[in-house]
Amino acid sequence: MPTASGKVPVTVLTGFLGSGKTTLLNRILSENHGKRIAVIENEFGEIGVDNELVIGAEEEIFEMNNGCICCNVRGDLIRILGSLMKRREKFDYILIETTGLADPGPVAQTFFRDDDLQEAFELDGIVTLVDAKHVVEHIDDSHEVKEQIAFADIILLNKTDLVQPSDITQLESRIRSMNALAKIYQTQNAQIPIDQVLQLRAFDLYRALDLEPNFLGHKQPFAWSGKFDLEAGDYTLSFKPGPSFDLSLTVLPASRMGSLLETARNVFATEARAVKPGQLLSTDGQLYKLLLLGKEIKYQFTNQSPGLYTLFCNRDPSGFAAQLVSASGRIIEPVSSCQYNLDHQHHDHEHDDQITSVGIAHDGELNLEKFQVWLNELLAEKGQDIFRMKGVLNFQGSSDRYVFQGVHMLFDGRPDRPWGTEPRKNALVFIGRNLDRQELNAGFQSCLA
Amino acid sequence: MSSIDPSKLKRDLIDECWYVALEEHIIDLAWSPSSGHLAAATVEGRVVLIENRGHSAFYQQVGQHGLGANSVSWRSDGSRFASAGQDGVVQFFDGSSGEQMQSIQVSKGWVSKVAFSPRRPVLAVAAGKRLKFLNEVGEVFYESSDHASTIADIAWNPSGTAVAVAAYNGVTVHRPGSAEEPREYSWKGSSLVLAWSPDEKYIATGEQDSTVHFWLVQSGEHAQMRGFPTKVLQLAWNSSGAKLATGGGSGVILWDCSGEGPMGRQPDILQAHINKITTLAYQPNGSYLISTDADGLLCVWEPEMHSHLLGGKSLSAPASCLRWTAQGDRLAVGQNDGVVVLFTAPK
Repeated sequence: MPTASGKVPVTVLTGFLGSGKTTLLNRILSENHGKRIAVIENEFGEIGVDNELVIGAEEEIFEMNNGCICCNVRGDLIRILGSLMKRREKFDYILIETTGLADPGPVAQTFFRDDDLQEAFELDGIVTLVDAKHVVEHIDDSHEVKEQIAFADIILLNKTDLVQPSDITQLESRIRSMNALAKIYQTQNAQIPIDQVLQLRAFDLYRALDLEPNFLGHKQPFAWSGKFDLEAGDYTLSFKPGPSFDLSLTVLPASRMGSLLETARNVFATEARAVKPGQLLSTDGQLYKLLLLGKEIKYQFTNQSPGLYTLFCNRDPSGFAAQLVSASGRIIEPVSSCQYNLDHQHHDHEHDDQITSVGIAHDGELNLEKFQVWLNELLAEKGQDIFRMKGVLNFQGSSDRYVFQGVHMLFDGRPDRPWGTEPRKNALVFIGRNLDRQELNAGFQSCLA
Repeated sequence: MSSIDPSKLKRDLIDECWYVALEEHIIDLAWSPSSGHLAAATVEGRVVLIENRGHSAFYQQVGQHGLGANSVSWRSDGSRFASAGQDGVVQFFDGSSGEQMQSIQVSKGWVSKVAFSPRRPVLAVAAGKRLKFLNEVGEVFYESSDHASTIADIAWNPSGTAVAVAAYNGVTVHRPGSAEEPREYSWKGSSLVLAWSPDEKYIATGEQDSTVHFWLVQSGEHAQMRGFPTKVLQLAWNSSGAKLATGGGSGVILWDCSGEGPMGRQPDILQAHINKITTLAYQPNGSYLISTDADGLLCVWEPEMHSHLLGGKSLSAPASCLRWTAQGDRLAVGQNDGVVVLFTAPK
């Protein structure tokens, strides 16, 4: 149904050839939902359902002369939707099925860059279908697959019946690492309740922060930390073969827990150095990937100054019978330890996915001017690499939440409802290519009042 | 900014002759050369022939295009008219009875426009990305290669020797029956509409990126005019070619194209509309300019004589299409609500 604003919602279906776009489309059209739906098809698939209006069109990207990809729009959609909005019998809903190789950016931007379309339509959401069986064959070298995943509000991990459960888990965590905002559903035959893919209002500012809350703050790129009270001297970390070969850790001097978590998150965003047993470790915030070779695995480090140190590890080290032993042979137990809900995006550092999500969560108050300057500079410099962003901000001196969302350099933000009794906080997510987590964090921190 | 109180408009400047209600958004209108008939196309696909009986009108639906009609055009001898639409079909109709004579599939998809030569029985067709010329019996005798996008607009030069095409990457001019390669006026933009100046010195285009482009047809020199609030879909030359009126916002922008041309000169702005301008049309062989807006206001100007508004009308819905008769004595207005209304020229 048209939204409160009277605008007709538009859902974009993307996904590689064979991922199940047309199956989903047919499913939506055949459900008895009472909506008048117009379909714009860039892929000439077989629509097996009689529908009032199915319009085939080749995609035509218009690049503005300044070459900024954020200004690229889809002329075919402007033309066709421009005609649809003049009809007397209005449609309740528009579905756009893109080609398998389509870049969702220009599709989304069209709805913000063309005044006529902006007045008549509302981009409701981008639904990306992923062929769980075959996507692994092209996810590494296909920009299109990655971008379709990065732009999505909903990802259907389809054809899961053809894949081992362990492979699905792995694939899902990889997709999650690329797009922390999307809801991911595992489907067979694109079977999903229609209300989970339509009328999401994903680009609606007032819904901007329906974020998966566990992305922000609660999940960490490490699964375990332990605080140790260490004298100056030599120590040995020993392990036995465990449930996995994937073990990464860092040792940091522990002062305050609050900022330490932030530091550790940043360390886990850096490149891990692979070390063989017998090699020396340092306590200065280097991330190590331990090569678990042999039956007795030992690493040494020398502690210069006595004090508290925290070991952060991507897995619970008890599964590897880990022990910290002093030069005199004393086993050092942690003063305290903590388990974390592992954020899968850091689960596996072997994938050097260029596309990632960076989430920032912070309780502090922001200075409006500083934030504006920072964001303007960030978008001017990195706007081409930032696909989507969303957030809620806590500005000093304002009693209202401030919400924002954006596509590339297009930014839309405004004050929302009052905070009331809700704890004031900032929560932001950027999805993009080659995002520098540390830099984004540092930039954000510099805007605190 | 001056805003107009519609109740104080001088309304008797133009008189209504008749109206018909076709109930679907009027996407195009075309007068027969004698002004005895008006062909109308609706966004939902109907092709309607309206007989102009002076103070009344009679109309009949003569054709239908699947998905929607886009364009109608009358042959210069008045014996036929053609229509085209999103179904890729061109239909030909008898100019007096309205009987359908021929229906030709010229393209897989969208035909944005059909345009008969002002002098010969040649029909130019914007068939998807290709320009096609059809002869008297509907045979394609020229087909261009693909333009960079689906063609947005085409227009014959007034002497009927060339057709200019607007698409992505600027304008291309094709000459039927000539061995010459089409001439490209390249610009990295998306041209939506175009108009030849009556003296054929300029081609003006309205662009998706909220600019207007002037091309000097001979030399290929060009100039981009910026500063429009929105994309420019309205272009109207006065009969001498000295002025071009453009929309793309709420102000009517008047470019002085006499002498050295519009480059480096400040345009005049006619202000009366509060909402976006939807159509503009200069009177042929006359000096009146009509503008309409998204609030349904129709304004009458005589820019060379007065900088102020002369008068206007409140329409029942915003106008989507304005067509003067060739003689300039009547003005047909097609509206979003399907009404087609005929007015006399200002007195």
